[in-house]
Amino acid sequence: MPSFVFSSAGWLQPLRLLVAHGWLREAGVDAWLGALRADWRLNRTFARVHSLRWVAADMLALRLKANRNWPGARPGQAVLVYGERDGVRLARCYSLTAVRGRVLELAIKRQPGGRFADKLIDTLLPGDVLELGAPSGELEWPRDADSGVLLLAAGSGITALYGLLREALAKGCKQPVWLLHSVRRREQRAFVPELQALMARHPNLRVQWLITGEPAGEGELHGRLGAEHLRDLPAHSLLACGPHGFVQKALSLWSAEPRAGTAQWEAFSPPPAQVAGAGQAVRLEFARSGLRAEGDDQRSLLEQAEARGLKPKHGCRQGICTECTCQLLEGRVRDLRSGRETSEPGQPIRICVSAPLSDVRIDL
Amino acid sequence: MRTDRELTPAELDAFGAELDALRERTLADLGAADARYIRRVRAAVRLCCTAGRVLLMFGWFPPTWLLGTLLLGLGKILENMELGHNVMHGQYDWMNDPELNGQRYEWDIVGPADFWRHTHNHLHHTYTNVIGRDDDIGYGLLRLFPEQRWKPFYRRQVLWATLQALLFQYAVAVQHVKLDKYFKGRISKDEVRPLQRQMNGKIVRQWAKDYLFFPLLALLIGANALAVLTGNLVANLLRNLWTFAVIFCGHFTEKAAVFPAEVLENESRGHWYLRQLRGSSNLEGGPLFHILTGNLSHQIEHHLYPDIPARRYAEMAREVRQIAARYGQEYNTGRMSRQIATVFRRIWVYRKPQAV
Repeated sequence: MPSFVFSSAGWLQPLRLLVAHGWLREAGVDAWLGALRADWRLNRTFARVHSLRWVAADMLALRLKANRNWPGARPGQAVLVYGERDGVRLARCYSLTAVRGRVLELAIKRQPGGRFADKLIDTLLPGDVLELGAPSGELEWPRDADSGVLLLAAGSGITALYGLLREALAKGCKQPVWLLHSVRRREQRAFVPELQALMARHPNLRVQWLITGEPAGEGELHGRLGAEHLRDLPAHSLLACGPHGFVQKALSLWSAEPRAGTAQWEAFSPPPAQVAGAGQAVRLEFARSGLRAEGDDQRSLLEQAEARGLKPKHGCRQGICTECTCQLLEGRVRDLRSGRETSEPGQPIRICVSAPLSDVRIDL
Repeated sequence: MRTDRELTPAELDAFGAELDALRERTLADLGAADARYIRRVRAAVRLCCTAGRVLLMFGWFPPTWLLGTLLLGLGKILENMELGHNVMHGQYDWMNDPELNGQRYEWDIVGPADFWRHTHNHLHHTYTNVIGRDDDIGYGLLRLFPEQRWKPFYRRQVLWATLQALLFQYAVAVQHVKLDKYFKGRISKDEVRPLQRQMNGKIVRQWAKDYLFFPLLALLIGANALAVLTGNLVANLLRNLWTFAVIFCGHFTEKAAVFPAEVLENESRGHWYLRQLRGSSNLEGGPLFHILTGNLSHQIEHHLYPDIPARRYAEMAREVRQIAARYGQEYNTGRMSRQIATVFRRIWVYRKPQAV
């Protein structure tokens, strides 16, 4: 096959046009493309696993090469990785530790009860193909922080911060940077040789580990994150990434002292779950209408959208006809008929029989 | 006619609760096997259509032309019934697969999927067999129940039914455009025009594919374009006849019941179930027959559970039958030959005003 034919994404453009105007169906075209090469698709981003390497006892780093539909991303952003379990397409978010064109690196950590991550870790082989979602995430290296940056990571929160840090140092960042990675066991420290090499090369970088669940080694800190760990730090800007509780703690410690810089954070576990239908207030976001509103967890999303002046397409209003189906983008909803809960991003839900259980964003 | 026992409100609630319980049990059991199944159906559709189209390129040579046409027709039937219809009901929405999403799927017939989702999923499935609300009762062309007011137009309904059978995919498309209401002056031209445009667009696309692209491709590679064109025409015709037959057996058999609009007032979940049971009729046959009907041979189960993957209907039917028997409700089922004969009889009998 002459390589110039496939050297640019341009050869798919006519097909894309035909699909966009309804002359061809994307699923059909994708089936043929996928049969030609496993990671070829018309519009969807698929990536081939190039190599795998353990970066901690429970964390596997993947190097991937995305197809030409990859929109590009910054290190520190996260992508959805799609997989399937029991016939259901699931997606989990993983931070990019490196991005060079279409070559990406991300790291997957085993989670307690996390069957998705475990399956990826246990079954992925070089040459396998994964679907990726669009990159997201607002974290960026602080621009104003001449007086120093404090990076606080817990568990797999290290991946986002490691990506940002590596990029910033490569770009010649000279300000003092202090990275604290909190893990339960010593073997969970991730990217240790890489971080030590960075420290050797960049005297402005200091990396320390905080071991919460077993005795700390030499030069490491012990215990849960507390004021004593952050005392006398010159850092004025904060980047924090970890579970919800850790991020809350980091923010309260950081803001206890006056700082000139900014704080950015990302929490990857949801706030503590609410009791189903307990009458709590939730925030609703109707993405396509660009409307945000206060709502409750009692009434259906359809009723609540209508109460805010929206006119969603609907039919029977009893969960039969599927006319009101739209995508759940974020958050957790409850089926008012069966009580079944759903929180899968991208899952089609019938808004006439779905009530929010948390803050939700829907494609309406 | 039917020998159903009337149910008290309490009985209706219990009846509904039993059917709900079956629904929840089945939903909880959905999984990898159902996902694998629908993807296999889709693979079969692609295989049949591709093989059919390749064989048609060999021209009029009878073995390849006949087999090619049959395979293409088979692929189109499978796509229409077991894949398109069922996916568009949202039966596989739980898989969260954008390619099998009920709101986005577009099927290989001239009727736009959006039209169908409204007229069928919403109107027909919510108001099943309610006179004046469910346009599927005779599709505005036929008088099939004495409860429908007679019009002189119905005198020739044998002809209308024949035309509908031959052109069924167009009938499905036109239904949503509501031309009958337009001609009666009940809706304006402005309301009809965008729908008409949408329909015309889809028809042009379908024609361009079946009757232009593939015949031209044949010309290009030196094959017989006319053989390809005819093969496509016949395949579409076969699909029209088959889908017509299956769908007319769903609600117009001898023992299918219709309802006055009053039943919709404050209708309980139990009564909605009851109406679906009484208004629908099943067809008996082997596994392949059920797949070819898109499991609409289990029309009763489909109407009770329109959003549950159709491959589950066969096992659910056993329980539905027992529940129906326990509540003294008839379970309308029979071989296709017998059921369709009763449909034809309705078309014949109710063409006359005095037949009530």
